[in-house]
Amino acid sequence: MTATLPSTSLDDAEHPQVFTGTPSAGEPGQVDAHDVCAWFGDRLVLETVDLVMEKSKVTALIGPSGCGKSTFLRIINRMHEVVPGAQLAGSVKLDGVDIYGPGQRAMETRRHIGMVFQKPNPFPAMTIAENVLAGLKFSRTSPANKDDLIEESLTKGGLWNEVKDRLGELGGALSGGQQQRLCIARSLAVKPRVLLMDEPCSALDPTSTLRIEQTIKEIASEVTVVIVTHNMQQAQRVSDYCAFFLAEENQPGRVIEAGRTTTIFGSPTDQRTFDYVNGQFG
Amino acid sequence: MTPETTTAIVADGVLSAGGQDSVGTFEHRKGGETSDIMPPDAATPQPPPLPPRRLPSPIRPSAFGAQDVLILVAAAMSSLCLVWVVFYQLTSLSGGVGFLVCWYVGFVVLTWIATAQVIERQVATDRVVAVIVVSAALLIVAIVVFIVLWVCYKAIPSIHWGSLFTKDQKSFVVTDPHALDQVGVVHAIIGTFEQVLVAVLIGVPFAVATAVYLNEVKGWGVKTVRTVVTAMSGTPSVVAGIFIYSMLILTHVLTYSGFAASLALVVILLPSVTRVVEEVLRVVPSGLREASLALGAPEWRTVWSVVLPTARSGVVTAVLLGIARIVGETAPLLFTAFGSQVMNWKGYFNHDQGALPLVIFSDVRQAQPVLINLAFQAAFVLMAIVLVLFVLARIFSRPKGKNGKRRKARPDDDDLMARMFVPIPIEQNEETR
Ligand SMILES: Nc1ncnc2c1ncn2[C@@H]1O[C@H](COP(=O)(O)OP(=O)(O)OP(=O)(O)O)[C@@H](O)[C@H]1O
Ligand SMILES: [Mg+2]
Repeated sequence: MTATLPSTSLDDAEHPQVFTGTPSAGEPGQVDAHDVCAWFGDRLVLETVDLVMEKSKVTALIGPSGCGKSTFLRIINRMHEVVPGAQLAGSVKLDGVDIYGPGQRAMETRRHIGMVFQKPNPFPAMTIAENVLAGLKFSRTSPANKDDLIEESLTKGGLWNEVKDRLGELGGALSGGQQQRLCIARSLAVKPRVLLMDEPCSALDPTSTLRIEQTIKEIASEVTVVIVTHNMQQAQRVSDYCAFFLAEENQPGRVIEAGRTTTIFGSPTDQRTFDYVNGQFG
Repeated sequence: MTPETTTAIVADGVLSAGGQDSVGTFEHRKGGETSDIMPPDAATPQPPPLPPRRLPSPIRPSAFGAQDVLILVAAAMSSLCLVWVVFYQLTSLSGGVGFLVCWYVGFVVLTWIATAQVIERQVATDRVVAVIVVSAALLIVAIVVFIVLWVCYKAIPSIHWGSLFTKDQKSFVVTDPHALDQVGVVHAIIGTFEQVLVAVLIGVPFAVATAVYLNEVKGWGVKTVRTVVTAMSGTPSVVAGIFIYSMLILTHVLTYSGFAASLALVVILLPSVTRVVEEVLRVVPSGLREASLALGAPEWRTVWSVVLPTARSGVVTAVLLGIARIVGETAPLLFTAFGSQVMNWKGYFNHDQGALPLVIFSDVRQAQPVLINLAFQAAFVLMAIVLVLFVLARIFSRPKGKNGKRRKARPDDDDLMARMFVPIPIEQNEETR
């Protein structure tokens, strides 16, 4: 597995898999974004982003505020189209299958590509256990053994030991950091192939942040992780690959540089990347 | 210059190795921390306890003191004397209301003069405004209390509990002036119950669906529908009655019946419940909808399994307040239920039916004291029902605590009622209080 970021040419013939979901569900997936552009209304906010998010790796998206990281992340699991007036172009492939291709349903894609948001958002009317099972309930599948799945997901989310005696309590009764780990467990319970995380630690204290970083490393073998973060140390701690986004004045956001995290932080080729990762930037 | 990639500074200042190790290190530190940072108590020399200091007694410079009370009482008394002299001795006017108004005006003017003399003019103006505002609030409370007490006073002494809830007015004999134990309002209670129940069963699903449309669907017609709903809530209730009367009763689709009354009540219930439920849905954080969609839920699932359960208490409150709103409606029943003296719960679909507001409306204008008493008793029952509904609404408007039970009332619950229950922010504020 070589780091060929950013990818410029994608040969479709090399990816003959058919994206049917069920057979390979639970296996980590690879995301290839090609020529992705995004608009809000008539405003272009993201221009020709090419990025490969390697299977079973953690890819960090960094860059100053407003450069389109969240927009890009939301394009990957078709949440961008939820915003009224939002448009996009280009292709995003999950294991070679275009998620925007004809006949692909947004709901199906979102089951394979989960998302954790900046603000912890457990469902307040559901208990902790129901929160974990929410994704399955929504897709009308019932697991073979609910209790096992709850334990497995919460353990992966790093929350099991803290809540195993209070699974019947409401999801809102947890602390902010616990809520965020519950949200991670909830996303993992549907066995996604890719997990997108948009600044998952920005509302949390250092202890909870470390717990979540630990969680990310542990799950990376089972699910491809894409994480947006403003914390340079965090990007270095958790990610294998890193992509630097930048939107210059009155310009849409672009990927300036992408590659191995050690390269981006150690010997970046672009001066702007160097300035940003060394904190000499806006 | 190469940045130091192998060392990471954790935000709280703990240095730990970067990469895979950081978490392990953290775990390790967590165990050993106590001995590092917090030395055992025994080792530290205890400082000698400080001698207790006497606290100065607290003052509240802007408090409302004895002098201010004295000014108010004095102003009230002198206004009373003054107005009494002018009113009855000098001009030989009469009438309680005029006297009260003159007394109040005199009281306010004298308060201003006295305060201006004793303290200062600015303070006097301030004080007078405060007096007027407070008395307006007191007046409203007084009116409500007076209405409640008045109805109780007129109803309770003559209530015959045994018959009130068991008999109808069928056996009322005009010649017997003391036959209160022969009559009751059970026919009206049952009639009102049936009419309101069916109105709620029909109206609430429509109202909730419309609110979901307004708040969740965001289609092209939202603005129009919202305007129409708002206009509809301004419809005079008598018009709702005429509408059903002319559309369904004059055309012989229905006869005078409880069902026709229910339909008229639906017209009144729909807009009010819709607007309140819409407000309730609006405060459900959009993050929950996104979370649900991102889990692969279809839109209808999101509404059904996430949005509505989150707002459940608010919806229940909205429905209870909606019931309280229609249970006392009289005008729409005049042309629809028509009213009846006899119990006929079976005649809901095809027969004149009694209702509590109709008993009040028709009996209070009768000559027989028995009927007048009965009207007040019906008013008493109606008020009790509305009171119960409001109490229930207040209970439901309280969010649930951590253990899933509803917590005790708090002073800001009125505020909550006004906002019609906001579940999440309050739940999260629980710690910060
Ligand atoms: N709902 C929206 N409607 C219109 N414009 C939007 C919307 N959301 C984002 N934008 C615009 O799109 C651009 C990219 O926003 P985005 O949220 O992707 O930035 P970001 O890199 O995630 O920033 P941050 O680090 O602050 O989260 C910004 O200029 C922003 O103003
Ligand atoms: Mg963002």
